[in-house]
Amino acid sequence: MTRLGPGDPIVTASHLTKVFHTTTRRPGRWGALTSLVAPRRVSKTAVNDVSFSVGRGELVALLGPNGAGKSTTIKMLTGILQPTSGSVTVAGIDPHRNRERNARNIGAIFGQRTQLWWDLPARESLAILRDIFEIDPSDYRRRLGELDELLDLSAFWDSRVRHLSLGQRVRCDLAASLLHDPGIVFLDEPTIGMDVVVKEQVREFLRHQVQERGRTVLLTTHDMTEVARLAERVVLVNHGQLVVDGTLDDIKRRFGGSWQVRVTLAEPGPEVEVEGLRVVRRDGPVVTFGPDGTDPDRPDPNGTVRLEEGLRRIVERHRITGVAIEEDDLEDVMRQAYLHRDAGTVP
Amino acid sequence: MSHVRQVSDRRTRPWAPLLVARVTPLGEVLAGGRVATKAARLAVGIFLSVALWRALYATTTTEAGLDREQAVTYAVLATVLVATRVSATWINGDTVLQRMQQGTIIFWFLRPMSARRYYFVRGVGELGYAQVWLLVALLVCVPSGVVLAPDPGSVPAFVVSLVLGHAIFYELGLVLDLLCFWTVVNMSAVQIVFFVQTLLSGGFAPLWFFPGWFRTLSLLLPFQGTLNVPVSIYVGRLPTSQIAGSLLVQLGWVVALCLFNRWLWERASRRVTVQGG
Repeated sequence: MTRLGPGDPIVTASHLTKVFHTTTRRPGRWGALTSLVAPRRVSKTAVNDVSFSVGRGELVALLGPNGAGKSTTIKMLTGILQPTSGSVTVAGIDPHRNRERNARNIGAIFGQRTQLWWDLPARESLAILRDIFEIDPSDYRRRLGELDELLDLSAFWDSRVRHLSLGQRVRCDLAASLLHDPGIVFLDEPTIGMDVVVKEQVREFLRHQVQERGRTVLLTTHDMTEVARLAERVVLVNHGQLVVDGTLDDIKRRFGGSWQVRVTLAEPGPEVEVEGLRVVRRDGPVVTFGPDGTDPDRPDPNGTVRLEEGLRRIVERHRITGVAIEEDDLEDVMRQAYLHRDAGTVP
Repeated sequence: MSHVRQVSDRRTRPWAPLLVARVTPLGEVLAGGRVATKAARLAVGIFLSVALWRALYATTTTEAGLDREQAVTYAVLATVLVATRVSATWINGDTVLQRMQQGTIIFWFLRPMSARRYYFVRGVGELGYAQVWLLVALLVCVPSGVVLAPDPGSVPAFVVSLVLGHAIFYELGLVLDLLCFWTVVNMSAVQIVFFVQTLLSGGFAPLWFFPGWFRTLSLLLPFQGTLNVPVSIYVGRLPTSQIAGSLLVQLGWVVALCLFNRWLWERASRRVTVQGG
C-alpha cells in the first residue's frame, strides 16, 4: 500500500505519447478495391510527450480544443489505453498493467456515456456495481445515503436508466463512479449537455468531493464557468502537446492581453493619438482604444500595452468625463490559447 | 476532512461479483411485458412446430430414424432452445458490438472484475435464464402429451450434453462478439453465422433428415453440439453406444473454443477503441 501525504503527486504522466494507427480508404471505386488489397496505413499522434502531475486532494482542469488529446490522455491515465511511449503512475500503480487493481482506486465519468445498465432501474445498476466492487453492504448503504443527500437520487433511482433524463443519468453515473470510495476521480466532460441548474448541482458536488472528502479530481471540460469556479490549476493541451501547466492567471497573462477602453473626451479634437494604442472606433467624443500590438517601452509577453498602462497614458494625454473597460473573459482567453500554434511550455 | 483511502486491497466479499449473473434475467423480468411476450412467442412457436411435424408425419410412421413423437419432441425442444438462448443479452444492449458502438465498452476495463470474467458470469446467468424457460416448456408440454417424457436412463447424459451445448453456444457467440474489437461492425457476419449455426445445429429441422454428406459436414463443425446432440439424446435417437463419444466431442469443442477465446480476449483488451472520441 502506498502512503501519500496531502499535495504529494498521486497522478503522474511522464513523456506520455499515444500514436494511433488506422487505415484510410482511397477515393473512388478503385480506391475501395485497392484499399482492400493494400490498405494505406496512417499514423496520428494524439498525445505527444506530455508530462504533468496532480497532487493528492487537488482539482485540476485538463483543457484544450476538440481533438487536442484530452480524452486520450484521460484514457491513458485510467488504464483503458496503453501509451505508445512514456509512463503513467496513478497512486503508485501503472494503470494499464494493473487495470483491476487500479479500478479500485479510481472513479471515472466519460461525458454522456453511461456505465449503468440501460434496462435496469438505476438503483439495481448501483447494486450490481456494489457486487462488482465487492463493497461491504453497510458501507454501501452509508455511501448511497450520502450520495443521495448530495445528488437527490432517490427521486428517480427506481426508474429504468433508459427513462432517465440526461441530468438524472449523469447524477447516477457520478454516484456509480464514487460508490467504491475512490481517492482519484477522472471526469471527462461530466456536465456536457446539462442545463444550468444541474450543472451547478454537479459543480457543487465536485467541490464537496474535493474540499470535504479530499478526493483528487482531474476534469476535462469546455465550460469555462466550470473552470473558473472549480479549478485551482489548469493543464492546457493543444495539438497533443502541453501548452500551459499553471493557474488560470498564468493562462490569462499569456493569452489574455486583449482589452478595449471606451472613453468620453471632455474636449474632443480632430486628432486622437496615444502611444502604443490604436483607435478602434470613434463616435464624436466617444473613442474606443485598444492596444496596437507594438509598445517599445513596456511590452507584455504578447507585445501589447497592459490595460493599466494604456489607461494611464489616455488619462495623461486627454481629459475624460467617462470610461468603460472591456477585458477578455475566460472564453476569449481560451479562444486565443486554442488558436495559438506555438506549443512552448510555460513552467 | 474525511479520509479517503488511496489504495486498498481490502476484499470483504470476494464472491460478490458472481451475483453479476443476475444482470440479464433481471433486465428481462423488470422490463414490463418482455416475459409475457417471450411466453407468447414460445407458445406460438411450439404450436406451429407441433402442427407442422404432425402434418409431415400424416402418411408415414418413421422417417430418418425418428417416429412422429420423436420428431415433434425434437422440433419443440429445438424451437425452445433457439428462441431462449439468443436474444436476451442483445435486447439488453450488453454485447461487445453494442458497447463498442455506444463507446461504453471502456467501463468494462474500469472495474476490478476483468471484462472476460464479467462476460462469462453474465453469460452463465443468461443461459441459466434460458434453462428456466426450457424447464417450464417441458413442465407444460410433457404432462400434456405434446412432447415425449425423457427416458430416465438418458436424463444424466442429456443434462451433461445440454450443459456442454450451452457452453459451445456461449463460446461461439463470444468469438463473434470479440471480433468486434477488430471489425467494430459485424452485423452481417452475425446474421450469416446465426443462420448457419441454426441450420447446422438442427434448429430449423432435425439433422437426421439431412443427406449423409450434410451430416458428415456438421460432424466436423461445433454447431451440432449446441443442439442436435443433447436433443437427440433426449428423444432417444442417438444410439447409446455413441453417447459417450458425442459428449467427448462436445467437450473437445468447449476446450478448443475456450482456449481460442482466451487468446482473443488477451489481444482484444489491448486494443480497446472508443467510438466518438
